[in-house]
Amino acid sequence: MTRVLESQLPILIVLLGLGTMAKVITVRSGGEPGSLARLGPAVLMPGRLQVPSLLVCAAGEVFLATGLLLSTHPFFRWGTVAFFALSTYVLLELRRRRPDAGCGCFGEVSSTPVGLRSIGRTVALTGMAMVSVWAPVPGWTAMTHPSWLTAAGVAVLALLSPEIEELIDRVRYRAPCEQRRGPAESATLARLRASGPWRAHRDELVSPEPYDSWRELCWRFFAFRNHQRDDVVFAVYLSGRRPAVRMAVVSGEDSGSMPEYTPVSA
Amino acid sequence: MGDASVERRRVLAAAALGREPGVPGPAEPAGEPWRAVAGQILDVSPHLVIIETPAGTEERLVIAPWATAWHGADIAPAELPVGAMVVMRTLREGRVVERVWADTTRLTGTIQSISGRKDLIVELDCGPHRGHRTIVIPYRASGRLQVRHPKFEPGYLFDAIGVRRDGMGVALLPATSQPPYPARAVPPPPPAYAGVQQRIAGPATWSDAFDEEERGAAYPMLESSDTGCAEAGLSCAGLPYLAIGSLLQVRNVCSGRSANVPVVACGCLAGRFCDRCVECDTSPRGRVAELSPYSYVELGGDLVKGCFNAQIGLG
Repeated sequence: MTRVLESQLPILIVLLGLGTMAKVITVRSGGEPGSLARLGPAVLMPGRLQVPSLLVCAAGEVFLATGLLLSTHPFFRWGTVAFFALSTYVLLELRRRRPDAGCGCFGEVSSTPVGLRSIGRTVALTGMAMVSVWAPVPGWTAMTHPSWLTAAGVAVLALLSPEIEELIDRVRYRAPCEQRRGPAESATLARLRASGPWRAHRDELVSPEPYDSWRELCWRFFAFRNHQRDDVVFAVYLSGRRPAVRMAVVSGEDSGSMPEYTPVSA
Repeated sequence: MGDASVERRRVLAAAALGREPGVPGPAEPAGEPWRAVAGQILDVSPHLVIIETPAGTEERLVIAPWATAWHGADIAPAELPVGAMVVMRTLREGRVVERVWADTTRLTGTIQSISGRKDLIVELDCGPHRGHRTIVIPYRASGRLQVRHPKFEPGYLFDAIGVRRDGMGVALLPATSQPPYPARAVPPPPPAYAGVQQRIAGPATWSDAFDEEERGAAYPMLESSDTGCAEAGLSCAGLPYLAIGSLLQVRNVCSGRSANVPVVACGCLAGRFCDRCVECDTSPRGRVAELSPYSYVELGGDLVKGCFNAQIGLG
């Protein structure tokens, strides 16, 4: 029976610790108040109080986690119950007042709007905290003796966490190349100079320095002149370590083109 | 960078990537094409207006019976003052006037300072390319403007439409609902996932910081190293990077007209506005382009309304 009571303590401690870390990271990386605007109960606070309120919440979490880990004092146990019960209320309120805001429970990863799953998760955590109130041992003993019930608790929480899907999405997808800040112009020029088309046409150019360079979508273009006063333009793809390079020679007078080279990857 | 090389970029890029270089101008006309005409009024009667164009020639245009005019308020075209600078939407290749905007100006920028008790004097920072501008908000317009600018204090954005009077901009109508964040704290774009949509939607606005008779657009998402503008490349609309010289296809969702408009300037100020346009439908957030008055009018936009709902693609 005792195993049952203490089995959820490790989960609570780890989650409180993760919540603290995520909030601190959000505050530190956010910097600008605009980026906090969509996150968590902080949106219910006026602008200048948003960062302090996140930090106070993080401090409360770390205080409770330490208490649960090291002692069996009922203050920390009941404090945790109260913390999660209060979170449930705050999320319900957030959902009613700002349906577009994320719960911010784990910082900016939790930016999906608060749904029934996030609320269900705080209800489950409140239940777990309730069960742990009467556990006879402190958190660190429970941490060293995990049981199957702990694993079951983790599984329930994983099912209730929208953040997990968000993390998978982030690993699988990056912003498309045309929306990403590109590498420096000099780095792209170095890649061009390491490519086959450049070696094939280098001797025709008047100067190895481009007279114009610009970026459009995922390509960076470099324009040169050759000895016949024609324009030689190279296009370098901005993604990948050995990017595709294309080139064309455009006669100086008319606007028609004489594509000399078709797609070549270096 | 000279204009010639910027014009050339489109041809060179198309050649390198083996695609068709686009042509600036209206694409597949929907209805009779509109043409914008600008000039200074020399004489006006109920049926005829005579203007001097920026090129110095005199033009006589017929005023359509249904034509309307705006000069701080809606007026009949015959009441337009002589000497006013007008932008007109015309039919029949610039012969018949349908809509006239007189001395209309747009006052967009970051509020620097506010002074005055009754008539407010506001100093605006109009971005690194346009410098500072001092404008007047008359007492009768201040309530209307402040209700759409709840953060009416230095550091926040301001966007209004008004008239030029004695060389000074007089703000009369709000052009947007002010974004609630300080001008320096533009929210990041929504996360973009793979599978890029071909067209991006958002508000298209206008600005009078272009040359007269110029057709073009200021676009926010430019590489700052290409433009020498440290504040470029900022937008909350998830826009792709383009260059000065790229051809932007702009479609007015309200009027169904579309045109290919070259990017001619850095739209770093437009990129700071994460607002919506509520013309004919609610657009997604984030300005996608700031058009010159000519392009804006020819696409069917109303200068007084300040924006239209647009879709953009690469021309």
